[in-house]
Amino acid sequence: MTGIVIRRALAAVPLLFVVSVMAFLLMKAVPGDPVDVLIGNAERDLSPGQALALRREMGLTRPWPRQYLNWVAGWWGAGELGRSYKDGRPVACVIAERCPTTLLLVGSAVALAFAGGITLGTAMAVLSWSSLGRLLERACAVAALLLYSAPTFWLAFLAIFAVERWLPGWPILGPHRAGSGDQLGDALQHVVLPALLLASRKAAKIALFVRAQVLDEMGREYVLVARSKGLSKTAVVARHIFRNTMPPVISLLGLSLPALFGGSVLIETVFGWPGIGRLAVDATFGRNYPVILALIVVYGAIVVASNLVADVLSCLADPRVREQAMAPGTRPAPGGTGAA
Amino acid sequence: MGGRRRRSGKRLRPGLRTAGGALLLSLLAVMALLAPGVWPLTGTHTPIDVDLSLANLPPASAGHLLGTDFLGRDILCESMWGARASLAVGILAAGIAVSVGSLWGAMSALAGGAVDAVMMRVVDGLLSIPALVLVLALQSFMSSPQLTAVLPPAVLAGLAVSPWSHGLMPLATIVLVISATTWLEAARLARAQVMTIRSQEYVLAARSLGVGRLGMLLRHLLPNAAVPLVVEATLLVSDAVLMEAGLSYLGLGLGPGIPSWGQMVASAQMSLIDGNWWAALTPGILISALVLAVNLLGEGWLEVTGSRHHRVAAQPGA
Repeated sequence: MTGIVIRRALAAVPLLFVVSVMAFLLMKAVPGDPVDVLIGNAERDLSPGQALALRREMGLTRPWPRQYLNWVAGWWGAGELGRSYKDGRPVACVIAERCPTTLLLVGSAVALAFAGGITLGTAMAVLSWSSLGRLLERACAVAALLLYSAPTFWLAFLAIFAVERWLPGWPILGPHRAGSGDQLGDALQHVVLPALLLASRKAAKIALFVRAQVLDEMGREYVLVARSKGLSKTAVVARHIFRNTMPPVISLLGLSLPALFGGSVLIETVFGWPGIGRLAVDATFGRNYPVILALIVVYGAIVVASNLVADVLSCLADPRVREQAMAPGTRPAPGGTGAA
Repeated sequence: MGGRRRRSGKRLRPGLRTAGGALLLSLLAVMALLAPGVWPLTGTHTPIDVDLSLANLPPASAGHLLGTDFLGRDILCESMWGARASLAVGILAAGIAVSVGSLWGAMSALAGGAVDAVMMRVVDGLLSIPALVLVLALQSFMSSPQLTAVLPPAVLAGLAVSPWSHGLMPLATIVLVISATTWLEAARLARAQVMTIRSQEYVLAARSLGVGRLGMLLRHLLPNAAVPLVVEATLLVSDAVLMEAGLSYLGLGLGPGIPSWGQMVASAQMSLIDGNWWAALTPGILISALVLAVNLLGEGWLEVTGSRHHRVAAQPGA
């Protein structure tokens, strides 16, 4: 197991390098360099000579590989390219203080999407056994499809409107009440609504997926064996099928992490959460190059790291994946693809 | 045991879904086409006319079937014009993304070896960055005045950019920015397709007849990989539409000159406090309808053609 973790962690390093190089090339590829933006932000004209001096000072006249290294070193405050244009602090500090908020939001959403999606999907599959239940199940499937199609920030407006009207007093904005930042109950109360909305699209997707998966599994031979052994249908679902649907759902969630972090940009804006998503929006408006470029790398790192976790989890949940991963030289497809 | 029947009833029939999606999509397209013709019915001349004396009229008011928003803009009229923006952004961005992605993926597959590895690592790397964040970064660069400075005058004229108007520049920027972040799944798909196809006998036959690499790519590989790629394009339309809506909500969308559903939802946020829920409801329903239509069409199509590929990674955050 440790071997798998180490191997995967090592494989993640070149990926992160690629991400940082992409961010750097982005900075180089677009018209205008940081100096142009700085001058634009300061709204004063510099003579070409002064601009050149500034470029030289910021290291923008050096060869690209050197600039890249400078840029990476700069995140910790070593160089001009690594300081936020807004307040001059190193971008690593600016981003680090905002990370926990986003991780709390996205983490809660992942947990909700996972639990809600699997429960709903299994319930839908079980419902379809009776003719009355099948109507209900069809209604749920249509609802999930609609939920999946609606833009999250729009759903968030509707939810805020509904909560305002029918649940007055329920906290809506921000991650905690002013002055009570470390109270668990308060934090939980605040996180529920945004996390539910962020999770809604994924939960709908997972529910539809699990439903199809459970119905597929119902026709398999091991289910027939379990049934002929005398187990009730419910027991078969609970003991056998449920375990088999877990690994693909884990890898599905792992794959949708970038989308969840992207969604958190919107949800943080709607609900006024001071996370890195909101930071990215502010940096975009402020043309805060150093922050937004470092954010790209940070997001990449978070996604790569959480994919690592998802990989390990699906190894834990599915022995077949584990064995594949142990076999040297093969890159395992996460999830129970062996059964698909 | 009735297992067969039950299994066949587990999802809507693919043909039905495709037809439903196509119907919904054509309704929305008709909306977009009729947009210039509706103003006599709705009482306003343009979708962006502001009249504060008509602010926050509820639905079914005289002359305003769907009501007005907090600036007195007619919601029906704005929705119909918005259909144009949403469809244009969706279709153009998906078209560009799939074309670029197909070429990238196919070339990567044909090149093989180290080139293939590097090209696909680039795709992997970009896929691990949330598309919306990448779009934000690109948007912050693209909207900079420097871009207008470097574009050739002919392009600027084509986009109707003038000293006093951005013309279609915001539309072009959005389309480029969105397609720049959504081509990745298409690239992976195209690579996998080409990998499968190129070992087939007719490809070997063509090669032994002396067809070159480029000819092979354009004449034999891409046309035979077309069906899943066209389906991918359909599904990408929904991603692009949601992305545009999200960007518009953040205030980085098409700008006030071009009405779009995303911007309508965004501006409706202001009046939600005054109890004006209808201004937010209509455009949101329309966005959902478009996304639903495209998804039904694409996924029904996948099942009709028999190639089921679960598409999970490239969902936009919106």
